[in-house]
Amino acid sequence: MILLAILLIPILTGLLLLPFRKAKLVRSIALASSILNLLLTLILAFSPETSAFHVNWINYMGINFSLGYDGISLIMLLLTNLLFPFILLAGFGREQRNVHLLNFLILFAQSALIGVFLAQNAFLFYVFWELALIPVYFILLIWGGDGRKSITFKFFIYTLTGSLFLLFGIIYLYQLTPGMHTTDFAAFNQLNIPTGTQVWLFWILFIAFAIKMPVFPFHTWQPPTYNMASTQGVMILAGVMTKMGIYGALRFLFPIVPSGVLFWQNTVIILSLIGVVYASIIAFRKTNLKMLIAFSSMAHISLMVTAMFVLNTYALQGLLFQVMSHGVTIVALFYLTSLLKEKTGTIELPQMGGLKLQAPNMAVLFLIVVLGSIALPLTAGFVGEFLMIAGIFKQSAWFAAIGGLTMIFGAIYMLFAYQRAMLGDKKLVYSKLTDVHTLDYLILIPLIVIILGLGIYPQPLFNLMGQTIHSAENILKPLVEGALILKTN
Amino acid sequence: MVEPIPNINLALLVPALPLLGFLITGLGYKRFKNNQAGIIASTSIGLSFLVSVFLFFVLRNSGQDAATVTLFNWIAVGNMNIPFAFLIDHLSLTMMLIITGVGSLIHIYSIGYMHGDNRINSFFAQMNLFTFSMLLLVMGANYLVLFIGWEGVGLCSYLLIGFWFKNPSFNYAARKAFIINRIGDLGFILGIILLFFSFNSVSFSEVFAQASTMQIGTPVITAITLLLLVGAVGKSAQIPLFTWLPDAMAGPTPVSALIHAATMVTAGIYMIARSSILYNLAPITLNVIIVIGLSTAILAAIIGLKQNDIKKVLAYSTVSQLGYMFLALGLGAYSTAVFHVTTHAFFKALLFLGAGSIIHAMGGEQDIRKMGGLRKKMPVTYWTFLAGTLAISGIPPFSGFFSKDMILVKAFEHNIIIYILALAGALLTCFYMFRLLYLVFFREQRLAGAHPHESPKVMTIPLIILGILSVFGGFLNIPSLFGGDLSFSNFLQKNVFSKVSEEISHSTEIGLIILSLSLLSLIIWLAYRTFIRKAVVPAADGVSMTPIARLVTNKFYIDEIYTTVFEKPFGSFSNFLFKKVETNILNPIVDGVGEATSVLGMLTRRLQRGNMSFYFFAMVAGILLFIIFILTI
Repeated sequence: MILLAILLIPILTGLLLLPFRKAKLVRSIALASSILNLLLTLILAFSPETSAFHVNWINYMGINFSLGYDGISLIMLLLTNLLFPFILLAGFGREQRNVHLLNFLILFAQSALIGVFLAQNAFLFYVFWELALIPVYFILLIWGGDGRKSITFKFFIYTLTGSLFLLFGIIYLYQLTPGMHTTDFAAFNQLNIPTGTQVWLFWILFIAFAIKMPVFPFHTWQPPTYNMASTQGVMILAGVMTKMGIYGALRFLFPIVPSGVLFWQNTVIILSLIGVVYASIIAFRKTNLKMLIAFSSMAHISLMVTAMFVLNTYALQGLLFQVMSHGVTIVALFYLTSLLKEKTGTIELPQMGGLKLQAPNMAVLFLIVVLGSIALPLTAGFVGEFLMIAGIFKQSAWFAAIGGLTMIFGAIYMLFAYQRAMLGDKKLVYSKLTDVHTLDYLILIPLIVIILGLGIYPQPLFNLMGQTIHSAENILKPLVEGALILKTN
Repeated sequence: MVEPIPNINLALLVPALPLLGFLITGLGYKRFKNNQAGIIASTSIGLSFLVSVFLFFVLRNSGQDAATVTLFNWIAVGNMNIPFAFLIDHLSLTMMLIITGVGSLIHIYSIGYMHGDNRINSFFAQMNLFTFSMLLLVMGANYLVLFIGWEGVGLCSYLLIGFWFKNPSFNYAARKAFIINRIGDLGFILGIILLFFSFNSVSFSEVFAQASTMQIGTPVITAITLLLLVGAVGKSAQIPLFTWLPDAMAGPTPVSALIHAATMVTAGIYMIARSSILYNLAPITLNVIIVIGLSTAILAAIIGLKQNDIKKVLAYSTVSQLGYMFLALGLGAYSTAVFHVTTHAFFKALLFLGAGSIIHAMGGEQDIRKMGGLRKKMPVTYWTFLAGTLAISGIPPFSGFFSKDMILVKAFEHNIIIYILALAGALLTCFYMFRLLYLVFFREQRLAGAHPHESPKVMTIPLIILGILSVFGGFLNIPSLFGGDLSFSNFLQKNVFSKVSEEISHSTEIGLIILSLSLLSLIIWLAYRTFIRKAVVPAADGVSMTPIARLVTNKFYIDEIYTTVFEKPFGSFSNFLFKKVETNILNPIVDGVGEATSVLGMLTRRLQRGNMSFYFFAMVAGILLFIIFILTI
């Protein structure tokens, strides 16, 4: 039942908010509900018993409404419900149109995302996957910035195209299930699909996730979308929605089409390594801070995809750790970006500069988050990146060396951005600039505490993955066996 | 199981005190007035020093060689188990004493030097953070905790080089330092990972225990040591990654003394000395280290001959001295390298603080061509600076003599060519240092309108203490030739495993010392003749020079080469990728797909009027139809 509560609290609160018109009240209720949901999630995460929810839905087609979770879902769920209070908090005290509608859509998105991570049935997964697109589509379209119509359209078409492939894949898998057909993951995992089929089915399933994450060269929708999106929109997109792709890939590819994974393993690794280098190099010359962070996020996600496909426990653990770390860091970064935009009226780096003089605290906060993003030891990013690079190294030292270039490139573009925004001499335009306010501290300090806390003492998160270690092994087992078969052939 | 040593857990206080100092001065930076932050920061390091001294005796009285203090399990995943633990042994204690001892003197000095700077509180917070990171680096019981400190000192170095952040070129220097260090760090972390997969551990004790049974020349050990070396080359500013250190002089002078002379830059030497067991197994790597160290020592010394900025001279001198330490490491004389680290910490900190005192007195002027005649006006600075100059030049009985002579002897034992080159470098060192000394302190003052004065006591007392250490520091390790017993080297021998080489006879050793001393005297006389008798002042910038002089003055154009070969192409490539690949290739493809969809939309518009909700309806209906279709077949 607790799963159903976690799933429904956001959307029900969202519906409840619709008649209200007082911005502050609406935001407070939304925030309270998301905090409640976070508490429930923590109870779930640390309770020894597992929970599940199951009702029959469309009986004659074998589609069940079943919710459940394993270690991987738990990390995703925790990240989602951890970030949404901050995303909602980011709306406080700011000029926004139709606050009730906006908060409804945000909470709607939260429910849909939770559904994605809890669904134990591929059709249900797909429903939530598509549902999540709807509120985000409207958040981008209504509250977005310049060029929102054409960019949102592109985003929509792009992801929808991917989804259609996924849908086809799910239906294909559905009719493969024996006897009374079903779309339960458990049944999909049992399928023994011929290798020849897996080779093409892999891409049918992967393309939707590859677009969402994004993997090079399916990324072109992302930087303009991030750039145009409102603060809360981009926080949802970059913080949580990118993880949908990672989650989906873990859920669909590895257990269902293991031979396909093995067949395409090196292709995907090379594509994502290209993504790492490509996005990092582009980020260096971006003068628009939001675009810069968008490309940096792409570089980080690409490293995570590499780690996913090297198929070993270190990389997988590092990847899951990084899911959390990246989500928290990128949300903090985008929040700071919007803060800069509010204070200076621009996100063009050449027009900023010298802000540390007027806003020293903001500069310090920005620097700490930047350091988290470039994975300095004792920030969460280091633990994740170290494990991922170690895992990649196990596959190939060269892959690790190329992936590890993020260490250098990240420092190059991030510190350059920091310098151009914060350092240098005073600019007269910003002589009346104020430092961060209480609300900003309420958002940034907890996020920074998480970034540093997980970097200094990461063990609680690993303990949480306790089950994941098993599920990671479960995921890897057929693959390792498959690899052995390939080798003996 | 060894008996736990009583009171050894006090070791936690050593890094904890600077961390506490950092938190107090960092969080309360707006509240402290006058010298409060400086006093808090200095006290924290001073207390840390006292604890280190206490630990020294605790360990000595325990009769054990090493003790591990574990805080908690940091990363424990699968087979990987990396504790957050500290190792207290003779090597780490030596480094702790240097860091906190010299560190507290520099902190105290900074109270005077930074007086009046409106961000003095931030300065002390960052200095404390640096000391904390540096202590983590030398106290870590495994490579990953070492790496925390390693990156931490890199961060503090970045912050302090760019301390005066209004100046864009200082910010550039800070970034350059961080990025070049990160290049090294990538090699370092890959080395640690390879180490982990080879030994299933990154803890010193376990790795070294396993390694001690391995064959010399095992390829994987060669690979590990080379990768770790990449990190050391970056951090200790060796060829080809040395260009950041001279630029790092943009930071306040106490920073140069603490970070870019006495402590951080020696981290690479510490790490290799710590890994002596591994390096002994990799003769190829040791030869690489010899080549890198020797060529860095000579190249930097040559560049030092033509520098006119007092801090730049000292910076190149530091690079050069670090090269000597690398040479010693390459020769397998790890404890000698650490000994040179120690004496160098004394005399180079002294020289930098002396330079700071001069710059302070000259109102920020750093050009030695504009100085001169400061001997009378700044007697304390002069006498201590003289002690430092004699020490770095290797004049007996100053501290540098003992450490440098030991390196030269090792070089002689190894190969006569290495010896000759190393000696040549030492002569160059002597020349540029006396050039500096004569130009700054002798003859008449060349800058009109300046009124130099001796620095306040808070600055001169640290100078005097460091002066005493520079004079007598060498007595820590007196070789048998002078009736000593190499107590410093023997102290380290428990934890650092130097290669045993065939020792040369005392008479040969005396011959070598006489040779180098007579050459050194000749050099000093040459410098005296040039800069005092003939009163030569280096030419102003822009005066035409011989090609070789121009080459040296421009530091062999290495910075320019790096800019042309790496920095600029990187920027152009970034533009190319975005403007050509992303905009002209990838986007049109996607738009093409999008346009095809639009055309499709145009066709269907006749049916649907382009209503988005209708699209959704159609989509769902389509899905259902499709399912039914699949079911019926």
